[in-house]
Amino acid sequence: MAKLLLTPENQIQRLNQLLDNFSSLQKLPPEILRFKPHPKSWNVLEVLEHLSICYNQYEEKIITALKASTDTNTGSWEYQPGFWIRFVIEGQRPKGQHRPFKLKTLKKFEPHMVLEPDTKAVQNVMERFRNNYLALKRNIKDSRSKIMDHPRFASAIGSVVSFRLPESFELLRCHAERHMIHRAGIIASQD
Amino acid sequence: MESSSKEIIRNFFSPVALPSAEEDWFFSLWEERTFKQNALITEAGQMERFFYIILEGVQVIYLLNQKGDKVVLGFSYSGSPSGVFDSFLYQKPSDTFLEALRPSRALALSRDNYLALFKTNPDFHQWGHSFFREILFGRLFREVELLTLSARERYISFMQRCPDDLKVIPQKYLASYLNMKPETFSRLRRSVSY
Repeated sequence: MAKLLLTPENQIQRLNQLLDNFSSLQKLPPEILRFKPHPKSWNVLEVLEHLSICYNQYEEKIITALKASTDTNTGSWEYQPGFWIRFVIEGQRPKGQHRPFKLKTLKKFEPHMVLEPDTKAVQNVMERFRNNYLALKRNIKDSRSKIMDHPRFASAIGSVVSFRLPESFELLRCHAERHMIHRAGIIASQD
Repeated sequence: MESSSKEIIRNFFSPVALPSAEEDWFFSLWEERTFKQNALITEAGQMERFFYIILEGVQVIYLLNQKGDKVVLGFSYSGSPSGVFDSFLYQKPSDTFLEALRPSRALALSRDNYLALFKTNPDFHQWGHSFFREILFGRLFREVELLTLSARERYISFMQRCPDDLKVIPQKYLASYLNMKPETFSRLRRSVSY
Protein backbone atom coordinates (compact mmCIF):
# COMPACT_ATOMS: atom_id res chain seq x y z
CA MET A 1 0.00 0.00 0.00
CA ALA A 2 1.41 3.40 -1.01
CA LYS A 3 2.66 5.90 1.55
CA LEU A 4 -0.05 8.23 2.82
CA LEU A 5 1.17 11.59 4.05
CA LEU A 6 -1.49 13.59 5.87
CA THR A 7 -1.30 17.37 6.21
CA PRO A 8 -3.86 19.77 7.69
CA GLU A 9 -3.70 21.96 4.58
CA ASN A 10 -4.73 19.08 2.34
CA GLN A 11 -7.57 18.22 4.72
CA ILE A 12 -8.71 21.87 4.88
CA GLN A 13 -8.67 22.20 1.08
CA ARG A 14 -10.74 19.04 0.64
CA LEU A 15 -13.17 20.07 3.38
CA ASN A 16 -13.67 23.43 1.67
CA GLN A 17 -14.56 21.56 -1.51
CA LEU A 18 -16.96 19.39 0.47
CA LEU A 19 -18.61 22.42 2.07
CA ASP A 20 -18.85 24.08 -1.33
CA ASN A 21 -20.51 20.94 -2.64
CA PHE A 22 -22.89 21.08 0.32
CA SER A 23 -23.78 24.74 -0.47
CA SER A 24 -25.25 23.57 -3.78
CA LEU A 25 -27.56 21.24 -1.83
CA GLN A 26 -28.95 24.16 0.13
CA LYS A 27 -30.43 25.56 -3.06
CA LEU A 28 -32.41 22.39 -3.80
CA PRO A 29 -36.13 22.15 -3.02
CA PRO A 30 -37.07 19.91 -0.01
CA GLU A 31 -38.82 17.36 -2.30
CA ILE A 32 -35.48 16.50 -3.89
CA LEU A 33 -33.78 16.24 -0.51
CA ARG A 34 -36.58 13.94 0.76
CA PHE A 35 -36.59 11.70 -2.31
CA LYS A 36 -35.73 8.00 -1.78
CA PRO A 37 -34.76 6.01 -4.89
CA HIS A 38 -36.06 2.86 -3.15
CA PRO A 39 -38.14 2.50 0.00
CA LYS A 40 -35.12 1.03 1.87
CA SER A 41 -32.48 3.44 0.63
CA TRP A 42 -31.55 6.73 2.25
CA ASN A 43 -32.54 10.14 1.00
CA VAL A 44 -30.09 13.09 0.91
CA LEU A 45 -31.21 14.28 4.35
CA GLU A 46 -30.51 10.87 5.86
CA VAL A 47 -27.05 10.88 4.29
CA LEU A 48 -26.33 14.29 5.87
CA GLU A 49 -27.75 13.17 9.21
CA HIS A 50 -25.58 10.04 9.10
CA LEU A 51 -22.51 12.24 8.54
CA SER A 52 -23.49 14.43 11.49
CA ILE A 53 -23.89 11.36 13.72
CA CYS A 54 -20.44 10.16 12.69
CA TYR A 55 -18.84 13.50 13.45
CA ASN A 56 -20.60 13.68 16.83
CA GLN A 57 -19.13 10.27 17.73
CA TYR A 58 -15.66 11.84 17.48
CA GLU A 59 -16.28 15.41 18.55
CA GLU A 60 -15.49 15.05 22.25
CA LYS A 61 -12.53 12.76 21.62
CA ILE A 62 -11.08 15.28 19.17
CA ILE A 63 -11.47 18.16 21.62
CA THR A 64 -9.88 16.14 24.42
CA ALA A 65 -6.97 15.14 22.18
CA LEU A 66 -6.48 18.76 21.08
CA LYS A 67 -6.23 19.81 24.73
CA ALA A 68 -3.75 17.02 25.42
CA SER A 69 -1.47 17.96 22.51
CA THR A 70 1.57 20.15 23.04
CA ASP A 71 1.59 23.60 21.45
CA THR A 72 4.46 24.33 19.11
CA ASN A 73 5.56 27.19 16.97
CA THR A 74 7.35 25.18 14.35
CA GLY A 75 4.71 25.07 11.63
CA SER A 76 1.98 22.60 10.90
CA TRP A 77 2.26 18.84 11.31
CA GLU A 78 2.80 16.13 8.71
CA TYR A 79 1.64 12.68 9.67
CA GLN A 80 2.09 9.24 8.20
CA PRO A 81 -0.37 6.62 9.48
CA GLY A 82 0.66 3.01 9.98
CA PHE A 83 -0.46 0.13 7.78
CA TRP A 84 -3.63 -0.80 9.67
CA ILE A 85 -4.99 2.75 9.89
CA ARG A 86 -4.10 3.33 6.23
CA PHE A 87 -6.15 0.28 5.39
CA VAL A 88 -9.13 1.62 7.38
CA ILE A 89 -8.90 5.08 5.77
CA GLU A 90 -8.46 3.71 2.25
CA GLY A 91 -11.65 1.70 2.76
CA GLN A 92 -13.54 4.97 3.05
CA ARG A 93 -11.71 7.09 0.48
CA PRO A 94 -13.59 7.39 -2.82
CA LYS A 95 -11.77 6.20 -5.92
CA GLY A 96 -12.45 9.00 -8.38
CA GLN A 97 -16.22 9.34 -8.54
CA HIS A 98 -16.89 5.87 -7.13
CA ARG A 99 -17.26 4.46 -3.65
CA PRO A 100 -14.77 1.56 -3.36
CA PHE A 101 -17.40 -0.83 -1.99
CA LYS A 102 -20.62 -0.70 -0.02
CA LEU A 103 -20.27 -0.84 3.75
CA LYS A 104 -22.89 -2.03 6.19
CA THR A 105 -23.91 0.78 8.54
CA LEU A 106 -23.81 -0.04 12.23
CA LYS A 107 -27.00 0.65 14.16
CA LYS A 108 -25.50 3.54 16.11
CA PHE A 109 -24.67 5.42 12.92
CA GLU A 110 -28.13 5.04 11.36
CA PRO A 111 -30.12 8.24 10.85
CA HIS A 112 -33.55 8.20 12.43
CA MET A 113 -35.85 10.58 10.63
CA VAL A 114 -39.57 10.84 10.12
CA LEU A 115 -40.77 9.71 6.70
CA GLU A 116 -41.86 13.18 5.55
CA PRO A 117 -39.75 15.78 7.42
CA ASP A 118 -41.25 19.27 7.34
CA THR A 119 -39.32 22.37 6.24
CA LYS A 120 -38.11 23.07 9.77
CA ALA A 121 -36.74 19.53 10.15
CA VAL A 122 -35.05 19.80 6.75
CA GLN A 123 -33.39 23.07 7.79
CA ASN A 124 -32.25 21.53 11.08
CA VAL A 125 -30.54 18.63 9.31
CA MET A 126 -28.81 21.00 6.89
CA GLU A 127 -27.70 23.35 9.65
CA ARG A 128 -26.45 20.50 11.84
CA PHE A 129 -24.34 19.11 9.01
CA ARG A 130 -22.89 22.52 8.16
CA ASN A 131 -22.08 23.35 11.79
CA ASN A 132 -20.49 19.94 12.38
CA TYR A 133 -18.22 20.02 9.36
CA LEU A 134 -17.27 23.65 9.98
CA ALA A 135 -16.37 22.54 13.52
CA LEU A 136 -14.27 19.72 12.04
CA LYS A 137 -12.43 22.28 9.91
CA ARG A 138 -11.93 24.50 12.95
CA ASN A 139 -10.47 21.54 14.83
CA ILE A 140 -8.07 20.79 11.99
CA LYS A 141 -6.98 24.44 11.96
CA ASP A 142 -6.52 24.43 15.74
CA SER A 143 -4.38 21.29 15.46
CA ARG A 144 -1.92 22.98 13.07
CA SER A 145 -0.07 24.63 15.93
CA LYS A 146 0.28 21.38 17.90
CA ILE A 147 2.50 18.32 18.04
CA MET A 148 0.54 15.10 17.60
CA ASP A 149 1.80 13.63 20.86
CA HIS A 150 -1.56 12.99 22.56
CA PRO A 151 -2.60 9.45 23.53
CA ARG A 152 -4.43 7.48 20.85
CA PHE A 153 -8.20 7.40 21.24
CA ALA A 154 -10.63 4.64 20.33
CA SER A 155 -12.49 5.03 17.05
CA ALA A 156 -16.29 5.07 16.91
CA ILE A 157 -16.30 1.34 16.15
CA GLY A 158 -14.28 0.54 19.29
CA SER A 159 -10.69 0.20 20.42
CA VAL A 160 -9.84 -2.32 17.69
CA VAL A 161 -9.05 0.84 15.71
CA SER A 162 -7.51 3.77 17.57
CA PHE A 163 -6.58 7.14 16.18
CA ARG A 164 -4.35 10.13 16.49
CA LEU A 165 -5.99 13.40 15.43
CA PRO A 166 -4.73 13.48 11.81
CA GLU A 167 -6.08 9.97 11.25
CA SER A 168 -9.50 10.77 12.68
CA PHE A 169 -9.68 13.96 10.58
CA GLU A 170 -8.77 12.00 7.47
CA LEU A 171 -11.29 9.25 8.17
CA LEU A 172 -14.12 11.75 8.71
CA ARG A 173 -13.17 13.66 5.59
CA CYS A 174 -12.90 10.56 3.37
CA HIS A 175 -16.13 9.18 4.82
CA ALA A 176 -17.93 12.47 4.06
CA GLU A 177 -16.52 12.55 0.52
CA ARG A 178 -17.70 8.99 0.02
CA HIS A 179 -21.21 9.97 1.01
CA MET A 180 -21.15 13.08 -1.19
CA ILE A 181 -20.83 10.64 -4.11
CA HIS A 182 -23.66 8.64 -2.56
CA ARG A 183 -25.90 11.72 -2.34
CA ALA A 184 -25.01 12.73 -5.94
CA GLY A 185 -26.22 9.28 -7.00
CA ILE A 186 -29.51 9.75 -5.15
CA ILE A 187 -30.13 13.10 -6.83
CA ALA A 188 -29.13 11.78 -10.25
CA SER A 189 -31.60 8.89 -9.89
CA GLN A 190 -34.46 11.44 -9.90
CA ASP A 191 -33.66 12.64 -13.44
CA MET B 1 -4.80 55.15 10.70
CA GLU B 2 -1.18 55.77 11.74
CA SER B 3 0.77 58.27 9.64
CA SER B 4 3.40 55.60 8.83
CA SER B 5 0.65 53.37 7.39
CA LYS B 6 -0.63 56.30 5.32
CA GLU B 7 2.86 56.83 3.97
CA ILE B 8 3.14 53.18 2.97
CA ILE B 9 -0.18 53.38 1.09
CA ARG B 10 0.81 56.67 -0.59
CA ASN B 11 4.08 55.10 -1.78
CA PHE B 12 2.34 52.00 -2.97
CA PHE B 13 -0.12 54.00 -5.10
CA SER B 14 2.49 56.62 -6.00
CA PRO B 15 1.27 57.66 -9.48
CA VAL B 16 -2.10 58.52 -7.94
CA ALA B 17 -2.30 62.05 -6.55
CA LEU B 18 -5.47 62.52 -4.56
CA PRO B 19 -6.82 65.85 -3.33
CA SER B 20 -6.83 65.92 0.49
CA ALA B 21 -10.64 65.47 0.78
CA GLU B 22 -10.47 62.38 -1.41
CA GLU B 23 -7.41 61.14 0.45
CA ASP B 24 -9.35 60.98 3.74
CA TRP B 25 -11.99 58.88 2.02
CA PHE B 26 -9.28 56.69 0.46
CA PHE B 27 -7.60 55.98 3.81
CA SER B 28 -10.96 55.25 5.43
CA LEU B 29 -11.42 52.29 3.05
CA TRP B 30 -8.57 50.33 4.61
CA GLU B 31 -8.77 48.23 7.75
CA GLU B 32 -5.82 46.91 9.71
CA ARG B 33 -5.71 43.15 10.22
CA THR B 34 -3.27 41.10 12.27
CA PHE B 35 -2.35 37.44 11.86
CA LYS B 36 -0.59 35.08 14.23
CA GLN B 37 2.41 33.08 13.06
CA ASN B 38 1.29 30.17 10.84
CA ALA B 39 -2.27 31.51 10.55
CA LEU B 40 -3.98 30.71 7.26
CA ILE B 41 -4.99 34.09 5.84
CA THR B 42 -6.70 32.57 2.82
CA GLU B 43 -7.51 28.87 2.37
CA ALA B 44 -7.57 26.94 -0.88
CA GLY B 45 -11.23 26.46 -1.75
CA GLN B 46 -12.30 29.75 -0.21
CA MET B 47 -12.78 33.17 -1.80
CA GLU B 48 -10.14 35.86 -1.29
CA ARG B 49 -11.93 38.82 0.31
CA PHE B 50 -9.13 41.38 0.56
CA PHE B 51 -6.27 43.05 -1.24
CA TYR B 52 -3.49 43.51 1.31
CA ILE B 53 -0.53 45.81 1.77
CA ILE B 54 1.85 44.35 4.34
CA LEU B 55 3.00 46.53 7.22
CA GLU B 56 4.93 43.86 9.07
CA GLY B 57 5.71 40.14 8.81
CA VAL B 58 6.18 37.59 6.03
CA GLN B 59 3.55 35.58 4.18
CA VAL B 60 3.89 32.69 1.77
CA ILE B 61 1.54 31.76 -1.06
CA TYR B 62 1.54 28.09 -2.04
CA LEU B 63 -0.56 25.35 -3.54
CA LEU B 64 -0.58 21.63 -2.91
CA ASN B 65 0.61 19.31 -5.65
CA GLN B 66 -0.96 15.89 -6.29
CA LYS B 67 1.19 14.29 -3.59
CA GLY B 68 -0.01 16.95 -1.14
CA ASP B 69 3.38 18.73 -0.96
CA LYS B 70 3.45 22.52 -0.71
CA VAL B 71 4.67 24.25 -3.87
CA VAL B 72 5.66 27.82 -3.03
CA LEU B 73 4.69 30.45 -5.60
CA GLY B 74 5.87 33.57 -3.79
CA PHE B 75 6.28 35.61 -0.64
CA SER B 76 5.09 38.97 0.61
CA TYR B 77 6.73 41.15 3.24
CA SER B 78 6.77 44.71 4.62
CA GLY B 79 5.64 47.22 2.01
CA SER B 80 4.63 44.61 -0.58
CA PRO B 81 1.14 43.66 -1.77
CA SER B 82 -0.40 40.38 -0.68
CA GLY B 83 -3.49 38.29 -1.30
CA VAL B 84 -4.73 35.76 -3.83
CA PHE B 85 -5.35 38.13 -6.72
CA ASP B 86 -7.10 35.78 -9.16
CA SER B 87 -9.60 34.71 -6.52
CA PHE B 88 -10.03 38.32 -5.40
CA LEU B 89 -10.63 39.70 -8.89
CA TYR B 90 -12.64 36.84 -10.41
CA GLN B 91 -14.49 35.89 -7.20
CA LYS B 92 -13.70 32.22 -7.64
CA PRO B 93 -12.48 29.84 -4.93
CA SER B 94 -8.75 30.12 -4.43
CA ASP B 95 -6.44 27.33 -5.62
CA THR B 96 -3.77 28.51 -3.21
CA PHE B 97 -3.14 29.05 0.48
CA LEU B 98 -1.85 32.32 1.88
CA GLU B 99 -0.14 31.77 5.22
CA ALA B 100 1.57 34.08 7.70
CA LEU B 101 5.09 32.70 8.29
CA ARG B 102 5.76 35.43 10.85
CA PRO B 103 3.28 37.37 12.98
CA SER B 104 1.88 39.84 10.48
CA ARG B 105 0.11 43.16 10.28
CA ALA B 106 -1.55 44.22 7.05
CA LEU B 107 -3.84 46.87 5.64
CA ALA B 108 -6.80 45.25 3.93
CA LEU B 109 -9.04 46.62 1.19
CA SER B 110 -12.30 44.82 0.38
CA ARG B 111 -13.21 44.03 -3.24
CA ASP B 112 -16.07 46.55 -3.30
CA ASN B 113 -13.74 49.27 -2.07
CA TYR B 114 -11.01 48.16 -4.48
CA LEU B 115 -13.44 48.47 -7.41
CA ALA B 116 -14.70 51.81 -6.10
CA LEU B 117 -11.18 53.24 -6.47
CA PHE B 118 -11.26 52.79 -10.25
CA LYS B 119 -14.69 54.38 -10.53
CA THR B 120 -13.70 57.37 -8.42
CA ASN B 121 -10.40 58.44 -9.90
CA PRO B 122 -9.02 57.52 -13.37
CA ASP B 123 -5.45 57.72 -12.00
CA PHE B 124 -6.05 54.32 -10.39
CA HIS B 125 -6.26 52.78 -13.87
CA GLN B 126 -2.73 54.00 -14.50
CA TRP B 127 -1.66 52.54 -11.17
CA GLY B 128 -3.41 49.23 -12.02
CA HIS B 129 -1.61 49.10 -15.38
CA SER B 130 1.82 49.58 -13.73
CA PHE B 131 1.02 47.22 -10.87
CA PHE B 132 -0.06 44.26 -13.01
CA ARG B 133 2.76 44.94 -15.53
CA GLU B 134 5.27 44.63 -12.68
CA ILE B 135 3.65 41.39 -11.52
CA LEU B 136 3.62 39.95 -15.04
CA PHE B 137 7.26 40.79 -15.73
CA GLY B 138 8.25 39.54 -12.28
CA ARG B 139 6.59 36.18 -13.00
CA LEU B 140 8.22 36.00 -16.45
CA PHE B 141 11.63 36.72 -14.95
CA ARG B 142 11.09 33.95 -12.40
CA GLU B 143 9.99 31.52 -15.09
CA VAL B 144 13.11 32.23 -17.14
CA GLU B 145 15.29 31.69 -14.05
CA LEU B 146 13.57 28.40 -13.24
CA LEU B 147 13.93 27.14 -16.81
CA THR B 148 17.45 28.28 -17.58
CA LEU B 149 19.55 28.46 -14.40
CA SER B 150 21.15 25.66 -12.41
CA ALA B 151 20.16 25.16 -8.76
CA ARG B 152 23.35 26.93 -7.66
CA GLU B 153 22.70 29.89 -10.00
CA ARG B 154 19.08 30.14 -8.87
CA TYR B 155 20.23 30.16 -5.25
CA ILE B 156 22.81 32.92 -5.83
CA SER B 157 20.45 35.06 -7.91
CA PHE B 158 17.69 34.78 -5.30
CA MET B 159 19.91 35.40 -2.27
CA GLN B 160 21.40 38.52 -3.89
CA ARG B 161 17.99 40.12 -4.25
CA CYS B 162 16.30 38.50 -1.25
CA PRO B 163 15.09 40.98 1.42
CA ASP B 164 16.38 40.34 4.96
CA ASP B 165 12.82 39.51 6.10
CA LEU B 166 12.88 36.36 3.97
CA LYS B 167 16.25 35.10 5.15
CA VAL B 168 14.81 34.05 8.50
CA ILE B 169 11.86 31.93 7.32
CA PRO B 170 12.07 28.10 7.33
CA GLN B 171 14.40 26.90 4.58
CA LYS B 172 11.86 24.44 3.17
CA TYR B 173 9.79 27.37 1.84
CA LEU B 174 12.76 29.02 0.16
CA ALA B 175 13.85 25.67 -1.27
CA SER B 176 10.39 25.03 -2.72
CA TYR B 177 10.28 28.55 -4.20
CA LEU B 178 13.59 27.84 -5.94
CA ASN B 179 12.35 24.43 -7.09
CA MET B 180 14.97 22.43 -5.20
CA LYS B 181 14.98 19.95 -2.35
CA PRO B 182 15.52 21.34 1.18
CA GLU B 183 18.72 19.24 1.35
CA THR B 184 20.07 20.94 -1.80
CA PHE B 185 19.18 24.37 -0.42
CA SER B 186 20.89 23.55 2.86
CA ARG B 187 24.04 22.32 1.07
CA LEU B 188 24.17 25.48 -1.08
CA ARG B 189 23.69 27.67 1.98
CA ARG B 190 26.71 26.01 3.61
CA SER B 191 28.97 26.02 0.58
CA VAL B 192 28.10 29.01 -1.61
CA SER B 193 28.77 32.66 -0.88
CA TYR B 194 26.91 35.33 -2.78
